[in-house]
Amino acid sequence: MERNKTYNRRKICIFGGIAFLCGFFLVGRLIYLMLFQHDYYSKKAIDLQQRERQIKAARGEIVDRNGVVLATNEAVCTISVIHNQITDEEKVIAVLSEELGLSEEYVRKRVEKVTSIEKIKSNVSKETGQKILSYQLDGVKVDEDYRRVYPYNELASKVLGFTGSDNQGIIGLESKYDSVLQGQDGTILTFTDARGREMGDLEESRIEPVEGDTLKITIDYNIQAFCTQMAQKAYLQKEADSVSILVMNPQNGEMLAMVNYPEFNPNDPFTLIEQYSEYTGTEEENNYLNEMWRNGCVSDTYEPGSIFKIITTAAALEENVVSVNESFYCPGYILVEDRRIRCHKTVGHGSQTFEEGLENSCNPVFITVGSRLGASTFYHYFEKFGLLDKTGIDLPGEAATIMHKEENIGPVELATISFGQSFQVTPIQMATTVSSLINGGTRVVPHFAMSITDSQTQTVQEYTYEGLEGICSEETSEMLQYLLEQVVSDGGGSKAYIEGYEIGGKTATSQTLPRSQNKYISSFLGFAPASNPEVLVMVIINNPQGIYYGGTIAAPIAREIFENILPYLDK
Amino acid sequence: MAEKKRKGAERKEKAISYFDYNLLFLIIFLVCFGLVMLYSSSSYIAANSALFNYDGAYYLKKQLRNIILGAAGMIVLTFIDYRVWKRFSLLAYMGSLALCVAVIFVGSDSHGSTRWLDIGPISFQPSEIAKIGIILFLAMMLEKVAKQLKSGWNLLKVLFMVAPVIVVVAISNLSTAVILAGIAVCMLFVASPKYSHFIVVGIAGVCFVAVFIVTAGYRMGRIEAWLDPEAAGDLGYQTLQGLYAIGSGGLFGKGLGESLQKLGNVPESQNDMIFTIICEELGLFGAISVILLFMLLIWRMMIIANNAKDLYGSLIVVGVMSHIAIQVILNIAVVTNSIPNTGVILPFISYGGTSFVFLLCEMGLVLSVSRGIRLETIK
Repeated sequence: MERNKTYNRRKICIFGGIAFLCGFFLVGRLIYLMLFQHDYYSKKAIDLQQRERQIKAARGEIVDRNGVVLATNEAVCTISVIHNQITDEEKVIAVLSEELGLSEEYVRKRVEKVTSIEKIKSNVSKETGQKILSYQLDGVKVDEDYRRVYPYNELASKVLGFTGSDNQGIIGLESKYDSVLQGQDGTILTFTDARGREMGDLEESRIEPVEGDTLKITIDYNIQAFCTQMAQKAYLQKEADSVSILVMNPQNGEMLAMVNYPEFNPNDPFTLIEQYSEYTGTEEENNYLNEMWRNGCVSDTYEPGSIFKIITTAAALEENVVSVNESFYCPGYILVEDRRIRCHKTVGHGSQTFEEGLENSCNPVFITVGSRLGASTFYHYFEKFGLLDKTGIDLPGEAATIMHKEENIGPVELATISFGQSFQVTPIQMATTVSSLINGGTRVVPHFAMSITDSQTQTVQEYTYEGLEGICSEETSEMLQYLLEQVVSDGGGSKAYIEGYEIGGKTATSQTLPRSQNKYISSFLGFAPASNPEVLVMVIINNPQGIYYGGTIAAPIAREIFENILPYLDK
Repeated sequence: MAEKKRKGAERKEKAISYFDYNLLFLIIFLVCFGLVMLYSSSSYIAANSALFNYDGAYYLKKQLRNIILGAAGMIVLTFIDYRVWKRFSLLAYMGSLALCVAVIFVGSDSHGSTRWLDIGPISFQPSEIAKIGIILFLAMMLEKVAKQLKSGWNLLKVLFMVAPVIVVVAISNLSTAVILAGIAVCMLFVASPKYSHFIVVGIAGVCFVAVFIVTAGYRMGRIEAWLDPEAAGDLGYQTLQGLYAIGSGGLFGKGLGESLQKLGNVPESQNDMIFTIICEELGLFGAISVILLFMLLIWRMMIIANNAKDLYGSLIVVGVMSHIAIQVILNIAVVTNSIPNTGVILPFISYGGTSFVFLLCEMGLVLSVSRGIRLETIK
């Protein structure tokens, strides 16, 4: 029998020592991995083990200046099933087909499909969702969602816009203020096994969604609704292509109403309105959808016609090239270079003062005044009055003014510009410029957004708009107020006259291009009270049938609007 | 005088009744702890798979059966004088060699390698039997030639004697062959009075491994997966999932049963990768405790080896000790990505059939050696 030798023992100790050293090395390695690399590997592991489910945030509401809700949300549910979590298949099929009003076949097909998650129905009302939840069926998921709802359907559709399937703003204020209105989606984090199955017993971490902020806009529901009615009436009576009505506060640029009739239903924005319904399903459907959504007051330009004489007058008064009592003679035409430009009254207005010339909307008078100003001075006033820039209204897609280049303005162009032809502006640009000239000379920024109310803190943040003061003198402004009141009380705008109110205004009848089609745009721009304008109304009838004179068909509409909103605004 | 006599009698009494209860307790503790961790790491997978009849306790039950078998073997071996085995050493060696050869021809497939041998209802891994065979054979052999071991030539001769079984095992199961070679080298190291030979063996081993890796492309892939498991795709998947489990454990872990990586993310979580689940659930404290338990186990065996009444017993203990030490170190080194990936199970804790039964039998041998210690020889 061999005994253990000393060297054997020593070597056993060496061997054990080496094993212990390896052990200590591994302990060190574990300390490195589990303490110093802990955060890194934990994050990686959680990324792998967690699945994220979104909780939709409610979009902020849009309310009018008095708090009437114009755009809100409806809580809806999406019902889906997770095949491998279902325990009682038959009951699930029975309950879902019963509650959702779907055929058993349809539900069975989806319930029996082996996918991770299968949607059964979306946009289910909340009550139904709750009811299905109360059955406590394994494998049936009820996820909350929101759908944008516009309670007044067509009302101000082209101003408000609408939202897409992901609740994102597509056009109008919904698009412009998307970042404000859009809330922050929340998330539910669930742990899953390697096959993606959720571990029901593990605590879900939930990040609550943050609702979007409430946007208060300057529109007055009552005024908007009344103007929509008026626009509809004119649209039907005059068989017009479209009717636009703008109501704004000329002192600060607040838009009280903006109607572009025909409107569309933002609750169902992808269905063509009656006028275009024949194009449904055709290749052109998309074009007509865009046409239907288009806000003409902001995105379309037109030749303003005689309403522009307000601006010619303002420029002439500023430059002192005319006095109101100065005498003019209209033979029914005027020669500019080799051209004969006719007055709308072919027999001529005869002898008249400048004031009477404005009341008569006499072209030769304004051509004369325009030529006195000269091209460069007139162009300078275009710039000064802000006609060459966009108004900066808070709606997407504002069109720019289409104007001659200064060096291309010859005597003929100058003459036509003087009475509002040969260039194009948007209706909102016209209304804004006139507002700025009659309010004492402050160029206002037309706008809708008044304030936003934070959904979390309820703090209100007001929007402020910097006007540009001194685009014309006080005297010019006062003179314009006087002259335009005369137009309504004695002149071409007499159909807008209301006893007991001082209303200023100007009519226009402009022929659209190409002239050969004999299509017209009849418009009227009025404001009240004339000496201290608080409200400005602009009515534009596009291609009316029959009588097309602005003074005859647009002015009465404006009068009716004034009759109704002036007492309302005074209260 | 009388006092001295009494002391002597006491000593004699103790000498007769010596038994390493420390080691026994460590074994029992490790086995029980292993069962808890095995159930924790395997129950979710087993409960969710038709392969296991949706029985969460599938692995637990099989492991219990193996433990009962192994414990019976351990008890029997503890009470049999280990010197009996000297006579059967050659037989054990030849027998395991024969079984290892047989498995190449008639073995059954599992996990892509032919490692199991079916005899009637019993299915077992001959390479695990080879471990105990090689330990018994070398202990007998080295005791015989202990005096001639100064010569390097004789060392090589002994090594050549065990080479056949190592080569045969290497054909189907490389990591077990490495363990076998490691056991042999450790036993030779302890038996030989020299050091220089083993420096040569060490250098030769490193060169062999280097050549071995470079000559086969797929092994190179494993090296790349080792160096950067995140960039290695499928090859690095197991390692990476293990690292996620280990790393997410932190100081105290997620708590027993709370691992998320065991839900199918870590492959073989009840097997080679069980240590990662221990790390995730019990944290750094749990992991270090496990390592300390193994160190205690090694330490107890060192004491038994040092005090064994003969070289044969001492070498048996050295063999078992090296077997356990090599497997623990390799397993933890693999899961912590300290060395390239190779399949080695964690003794006492990982799920194992043949390996568990024979591991407990080896422990029976060690306990038997401890029974032979005469108390006065303990230092």
